[in-house]
Amino acid sequence: MARREEVGLDRELADLPPELRWREWIRRIEAVLFASASPVARADLSRVVGQGASVDLLIEDLAVDLEGRPYEVAHVGAGWMLRTRPAYAPVIRAAADVGSQALNLSQFDLAVLAAIAFHQPISRDGLKDIFGKEISRDLIGRLSELDLIGTGPREPRRGAPYTFVTTEAFLAAFGMESLRDLPDPEQLADAGLSASSGASAP
Amino acid sequence: MRKPPAMPDEALPVLPPLPGWITAASDETPEPAAFRSGAALAHLSLATACDDVPDALWRDRLALQAAEVCLRIAGRREGTSTMRDALHLARPGDDPGPAGRVLRQWSRVVARPISVAGLSKALGGALEGVTPEWIALCLHTAGATPVDRAAQVIEAVLADNPRGETATLILADAVLAKSLGGTHVLPLLSLGLTARDLRLRGDDLRLCCHRAAVRGVGQALPLAGTLARAAARLRAVVPKLRAKGAARAVEMFLSQDALTPVALARAMPDSLSDRAARRLCERLVELGALRELTGRDTFRLYGV
Repeated sequence: MARREEVGLDRELADLPPELRWREWIRRIEAVLFASASPVARADLSRVVGQGASVDLLIEDLAVDLEGRPYEVAHVGAGWMLRTRPAYAPVIRAAADVGSQALNLSQFDLAVLAAIAFHQPISRDGLKDIFGKEISRDLIGRLSELDLIGTGPREPRRGAPYTFVTTEAFLAAFGMESLRDLPDPEQLADAGLSASSGASAP
Repeated sequence: MRKPPAMPDEALPVLPPLPGWITAASDETPEPAAFRSGAALAHLSLATACDDVPDALWRDRLALQAAEVCLRIAGRREGTSTMRDALHLARPGDDPGPAGRVLRQWSRVVARPISVAGLSKALGGALEGVTPEWIALCLHTAGATPVDRAAQVIEAVLADNPRGETATLILADAVLAKSLGGTHVLPLLSLGLTARDLRLRGDDLRLCCHRAAVRGVGQALPLAGTLARAAARLRAVVPKLRAKGAARAVEMFLSQDALTPVALARAMPDSLSDRAARRLCERLVELGALRELTGRDTFRLYGV
């Protein structure tokens, strides 16, 4: 994201009465969030409002404003984004052309993504141990292309393979605020959804 | 075929242990708990005031333990070795992953003196409402005792950020250290608090914080003793080393939990090459002054 300080941007809006100034700041934040496809961090938002203004309070007021609208402010990772409410998903799918935005992941892609999310940082070798077969570079490439995974630390084995970790975009795509929203591995094991909870690398 | 240590055991420093009565009972009421935690903290600061304790290394090792506690609270199960690997094997620009991030956060916080700017940078704006001004307010908060002040901060931060436990604990230990007159964050409360404790409020939370302080001191003090002895052994072998920059390398090991030979060489490019750094580390292990922490043949990590 461009981090230029926009010259001539009046952040303080000192000539407006306090009430209108606050309104304008809320609108600015809404505009920034509207224009961005990925979560926007607090530091970036605070660049368009007055020095002393609390981004949190502004976001809160914006959330109140948006009550009754089909979209909402969502807190994702360390930032915020605007997104449509889940109830409107069928409507959007029925009418809008979102094909290019959809993740278009196969079931196996999703399984690999889930394995990365749970066992990160993990390399292709580690994934091979989990799935019992080679995970293609294409698949990993697809996931990185969608910015769902990034590279983590090198793994301490021969060849120093790169490990993969999930990104903020991953959290946003699956509606999670942090990795703690992933289902508990023990719960999954109890529900019989994973073979053994101790399968993770030591 | 280990060679005899470079220093006889009698000459090694010994720190006075925590008096037994402090850890003997677990209190159900706040007053005795506060009395014990006060005694434990006072004992800790006196016992570790000597020059024998390598402060920076001690803090960094405690940060590793604190990071492990934070990961447990967040529901992750990585151990200390996984966290170390994640942090030290990540190259600049790589994302060290969830475990490595927590360790990096802790280790950065304890490495620098307590400051509002440093803390707000380390906490990375991840907390709602935790602005630099607010951190400054926390550091000068009023309360009956240092531990009570830390408890107040925990309660206030968690009220707005129920999931910001890591940042909350960092801030709480910073407040405790600052109230005790320290210059650096020393992870103590973080070592003794559990996820369940953090859900408590008011007097219950204060009671848990006093108990956690005693438990934290109970872990930190023996570690300080162990590290003081290890540091004495390490300093004693310096005259035996012929590598250029050996004394500086030893000082680096006395300020960080773990180092790769590559990181060591990069820190002093004028005196050590990668290979020289690797040889120096191996030599120090041979002399019984350093440990290889991973048990691997490659991608080794060395530390006191």
